[in-house]
Amino acid sequence: MKESKQGLEIFQDIARIANSTLDLNETLEKIIEVIKSNLHIDACAIYITDENHKIFNLKAASGLPPDTAKFIQLQIGKGITGWVAQHRKTLALSDAHNDPRFVYFPEIKEENFISMLSVPILVDEQCIGVINIHNAEKRMYTDLEILIMETIASQVSGCISNAMLFSKSQMLLKEQTILYDISQAVQTSTKLEHGLWIILSGITMGEAGGFNRAMVFIINENTNTLRGFMGLGPDSSEDAFRIWTQWGRKKKNMLQWVVSEADKDEYKNSAFNQLVQNMNFPIQPGENILVETVLQKTSFNVTDAGKHPLVSDAFVHSWQINAFATVPLIAHKEVLGVIMVDNKYNNKPISNEQLRLLTRFATHAGWVIENSRLFTKLLETNRELLSTREQLVQSEKLAVLGEISAEVTHEIKNPLVSIGGFARRLENRIKILSSKYENEIELKNIADYSKIIRSEVDRLEKLLTNILDYSKAGTLQRAPCNINELMEEAIFLFKSGFYLKDIAAHLSLEKDIPLLNLDKTQFRQVLINLFYNAMESMPSGGKLTIATYPENYVGGQKVITLRIEDTGGGIPQDIYENIFNPFFTTKSTGTGLGLSISRKIIEMHGGTIRIENNIGRGVAVYLHLPLQNGPD
Amino acid sequence: MKKILVIDDEQNIRLLYKEELEEQGYQVTVAATAEEAMGKIEADKPDLITLDIKMPGMDGIEFMRKLKEEKRDIPVILCSAYGRYKQDFRVWASDAYVVKSADLSELKLTIKEILGEVESQ
Repeated sequence: MKESKQGLEIFQDIARIANSTLDLNETLEKIIEVIKSNLHIDACAIYITDENHKIFNLKAASGLPPDTAKFIQLQIGKGITGWVAQHRKTLALSDAHNDPRFVYFPEIKEENFISMLSVPILVDEQCIGVINIHNAEKRMYTDLEILIMETIASQVSGCISNAMLFSKSQMLLKEQTILYDISQAVQTSTKLEHGLWIILSGITMGEAGGFNRAMVFIINENTNTLRGFMGLGPDSSEDAFRIWTQWGRKKKNMLQWVVSEADKDEYKNSAFNQLVQNMNFPIQPGENILVETVLQKTSFNVTDAGKHPLVSDAFVHSWQINAFATVPLIAHKEVLGVIMVDNKYNNKPISNEQLRLLTRFATHAGWVIENSRLFTKLLETNRELLSTREQLVQSEKLAVLGEISAEVTHEIKNPLVSIGGFARRLENRIKILSSKYENEIELKNIADYSKIIRSEVDRLEKLLTNILDYSKAGTLQRAPCNINELMEEAIFLFKSGFYLKDIAAHLSLEKDIPLLNLDKTQFRQVLINLFYNAMESMPSGGKLTIATYPENYVGGQKVITLRIEDTGGGIPQDIYENIFNPFFTTKSTGTGLGLSISRKIIEMHGGTIRIENNIGRGVAVYLHLPLQNGPD
Repeated sequence: MKKILVIDDEQNIRLLYKEELEEQGYQVTVAATAEEAMGKIEADKPDLITLDIKMPGMDGIEFMRKLKEEKRDIPVILCSAYGRYKQDFRVWASDAYVVKSADLSELKLTIKEILGEVESQ
């Protein structure tokens, strides 16, 4: 009766403790006190397992040697406690030393105790801890004592799972806060460097990711390489210590501090950042683990770099690391780069929890890169649009100016030709008269006046010519251009025409073609004329072959040759003789100028045009264009 | 004596060309429009035509096209107040192109070349 009342009091006390605080250590200490004061025992200890349920750490104790005991670790299956943990069964031993399962642990000074009661703490059939009580003199544990201890163990299990849930939710909350802060901070800047610096700061801050070093690599699509973009981390252990204590002090307004630091761009000077920025790896299988992260779109958590199949000795050597993790940066399902982290200075292994958090940071970083890419693109497009508009306005102005000056010139030129022309005639007539009447001084004066008119008109004519030459400069507006591109551009204009007429265009373009100095607009006109003729020759379908060839010699000149060949049946002989004549046409809508103009343009470029007429099959037009500039 | 037809809508230019070319020993007829010129070609059978481009009604280029369509093999010298038409593909159908000037020596030389009176340069 006395004992059962005692049991009830114990449970009341323990329930009160369990509800009073969420701090696990405090709860456990208090529970031990209750056990010690109510049951006749000499020592009590509570062990809690780690994440893996393999090692049991001493969490709270009373009656054990004070200092060393705090660091006791027991393995599952080893010794009495290990056996209890493994079999999830209570063990009451009046003479523990003589039990076959007994293993002597010097830290506990087990020689001081003889009897022992060991009870497992179970959560969902899983053993998460063990409560042990020890007695110095040999005694038996009563059924009631065992029952009390088992009941206490189930209470403790409740406390532990509550505390674990609490700490987990606390951690998640903290993570959420940090991620929120980071994403807010990232939005303060459109600069890629700043955004990524803030994220890397988050990854390395003790409060959040807590990694020693973090680095970003970004894919360069043009060169198909993975390029080191930024590295954040101490240059040495001393540096690490300095930075971490600095951050420790800044804890309160870490965020503002991070944002203001990003503006300073100081991180750029660190040796580590420069080391990272000098890295550039081709994206190909077997290159290294960073590239594999991109190719396989997956994270790697490497615990022993030397033994990992994807990590080469050279890689380990260049980074001098043993444990690290890589995470791909992904936005819109596309890999943009990689984040790599390590714990070079404190050598802490990277837990799955940390990797999960890192993945979240990587998601943010992915969006930062994507945003900045879009932003840059937007800026570029905007700039292009602006300059195009300016060019348009400018050329429109010039065109209007040219138009006006041409009109004005024409109106002035005709009267000038008459004035000047008749002044010349006048001058000549007076010359004749003067020779007849040598003494007439008046005639000499008149001759001088008409001379003045003539020379002034000459001056005006020259002026007009200069103005016109200025507004309509030159004949050919040459610029280096790729003939293949011109071909493709011109063919594009005929896309729908060819489609409607069921004409298949085959392009066979020489890849390494040198640039030619051509008047693009005029040359395009030639191609359009030739394509048009070819299309008209094949009203019910056919094949158009367009080819460019490497340099060869035609007529002692180094040229590039183009061939445009149709399957339109060729040109009848009587027509063929006239094809280059201006205004000659067989088409009701044609001007008859297509081929003559084309020839003229090609000749102005110093080239030649040759037509191969295969009656019954088709026409092949060859254009030979010199590499050196021909006459204009 | 070679016959030249001068086509120009400006009366003074016609007069100037007529007097200057007659002095060179040609027989010159003039027409103020392309339409008028068509009739003169029929009647006079000229050996050469000087043709203004910009004219009211049918312009010089259109006239030249008509001429070619009728397969009349008369050489044509296009005369224009400015060199702008030099870039116009259509003027390439002419035998020569001369920019009008108070100094008619270029025109005279071109006529001589086309009529085979001097060796072309």
